[in-house]
Amino acid sequence: MEQSWQLDNPILGLVVVGATFVLFYIVGFISNRQSKSAKELYVGGSNVGAITNGLAMAATYMSLATFLGITALILQLQVPFIMLWIQLILAIPLITIIYGTSLRRMGAFSPTHFIRDRYGTTASIIAALFMILVSIMYALGQMIGIAITFETLLGIPYITGLFIFGILIVGYITIGGMAGATNNAAIQMVIIALMFIVPLAAIMKAIGASGWYFPPLLYSDMVPAMMDALPSFFDYQFSPKWYFSIIPALTIGALGLPHLAMRVYTASSLKSARSAMVWFAFILGLVFSATYAMGFVGVFATTTQGVTISDADADKLTIILNMVYNPEWVTALVIAGAISAGLSTLSGNLLAIGALISQDIISTLKPNISQRLNLRIGFIAIFAGGIASILLAINPPAFLVVSILWAFGLAGVTNAPLIIVGVWWKEANKFGAIAASVVGGAIYIIVSPFVFPSIVLTGHGVTDGMGLSGAMLAVPISFILLIVVSYITNRMPALSGKLTKQADIELIERIHGWKDIKAYRYNSTLGAGITVVVSAAVAIWALMPWGM
Amino acid sequence: MKAYKKEVQFTIWMTAAFILVGNVGLIFSIFPVDAMLFGFPVMYIVPILMGWFGVFLLTLVAGKIGNRIDDEIERENDTLGNADEAKEV
Repeated sequence: MEQSWQLDNPILGLVVVGATFVLFYIVGFISNRQSKSAKELYVGGSNVGAITNGLAMAATYMSLATFLGITALILQLQVPFIMLWIQLILAIPLITIIYGTSLRRMGAFSPTHFIRDRYGTTASIIAALFMILVSIMYALGQMIGIAITFETLLGIPYITGLFIFGILIVGYITIGGMAGATNNAAIQMVIIALMFIVPLAAIMKAIGASGWYFPPLLYSDMVPAMMDALPSFFDYQFSPKWYFSIIPALTIGALGLPHLAMRVYTASSLKSARSAMVWFAFILGLVFSATYAMGFVGVFATTTQGVTISDADADKLTIILNMVYNPEWVTALVIAGAISAGLSTLSGNLLAIGALISQDIISTLKPNISQRLNLRIGFIAIFAGGIASILLAINPPAFLVVSILWAFGLAGVTNAPLIIVGVWWKEANKFGAIAASVVGGAIYIIVSPFVFPSIVLTGHGVTDGMGLSGAMLAVPISFILLIVVSYITNRMPALSGKLTKQADIELIERIHGWKDIKAYRYNSTLGAGITVVVSAAVAIWALMPWGM
Repeated sequence: MKAYKKEVQFTIWMTAAFILVGNVGLIFSIFPVDAMLFGFPVMYIVPILMGWFGVFLLTLVAGKIGNRIDDEIERENDTLGNADEAKEV
């Protein structure tokens, strides 16, 4: 039976969401009163403590998808999607150990800031343009989710909700800057965790699960009934190749996401950044595990309890489960949690867009503009990025997570190799970087189902749509191009005048903490060679039949 | 030289360890296991537990070693003095 899922008493929901908005506006306003420089706007003065930062990292990462998209994809793909999601927790730890502390030492505002100093203006503008595309796609996912949530909450049309609440949110982020966003994100993380896990406990209790008091892990007593009703739930379904493709697409992809890396730069010290990563892993693991439990309960409820959820409503699974099993005021709190999750990610995205446009493009092209003007451009860019994502959300795709995950791959192809190789290999140069970013990015876009639907690698809709197959081909190609083109052009005397070898060497030594320069450091031809061989093997594997 | 080698080796091994504990699903897709643990299929619950507690433990280790390597780099810098700073390669 088709059912429309809405709160009977929308005023209740409005009051709860309104109260959280007021709180976020006040925190943003107070936190950002002193944002007088770009450093304060984008990295909160690099003065954020470990717990606040760890919570903020988790909130920034845990997008609205936690409440909406993931559970829908668990409903659709079941266990393979859970396996895919688990490794997303690696993002901040890997960013921190591979390049985050180095870029924090350098004092970068965004990953592209490093690319500018390392590879020069042209490469940084290309990388910045790709990053703006990634950030807008990511922000778009949040906007869509927020509008869908308001549609569910109030029954108001999608477009009206999108514009009214979209503009309210963009205003709050523009007022708050990074200091406001960080403090708010830490508060939002607590709201997200409580509003997700406590209502889930109530749902599990209503269904009769004995482990309801710790929902993230204690639902095994529902497993036998699930195996009877849906024996295929725990099947891996796909080949090892599919599971391997998650690494280039999402594990490496997350390393190129600017709004995550920027969180590491806000740390007050390198030690603090490393402690923040510990807090991040703990809290994210907790909420991620609860998400899998919610997905499990959703599938359980639809297969054994007679709850019917149409395909169009799949994204709303979390909210629907609350409507079925919990009182209305609980659902209102869950909706406030979902909005918080969307807000924290969106503010990270929009701040990244602001930093990319004002610091990485305009300051690069016009280095002599005043700090005041630069800051103003930053605020305008944040606002414009928000408006752009509102306009793009007018015609949304069906599953919002798919577009976000595709953006991971684009970051993995166009930015991650430039940063990783740039930090660890002195020979990497601007010709290699430009070739990697442009050719890799073009291949990734061409094999995606969005541009030429007939040119895809697997023909399996979700696998191509999430960029798993495209990234498995394009990420290694990007690494190969960066290394091989750099190696060759470094040995062409005609090009030596166009390269800044000595400055590159000094930069790399400095960001690793060295005060002197040694030829043997960060200069391994063997390491680069192994990377090329492994990358070539992965790219060839990606071109072979997927059997899906 | 010592601190540099440690830094490179730490980054490579730690990255590999993180990727491994975060992608236990990949291992099970190659070597399936038909057993139960804590009432769940092993292939379901072990990746989830490793993806939470395994990663959490590794962040503790990575934080500790990372801080120690920073200190060692500082110490090597101090022994260098300023005489040969910014030497040409």
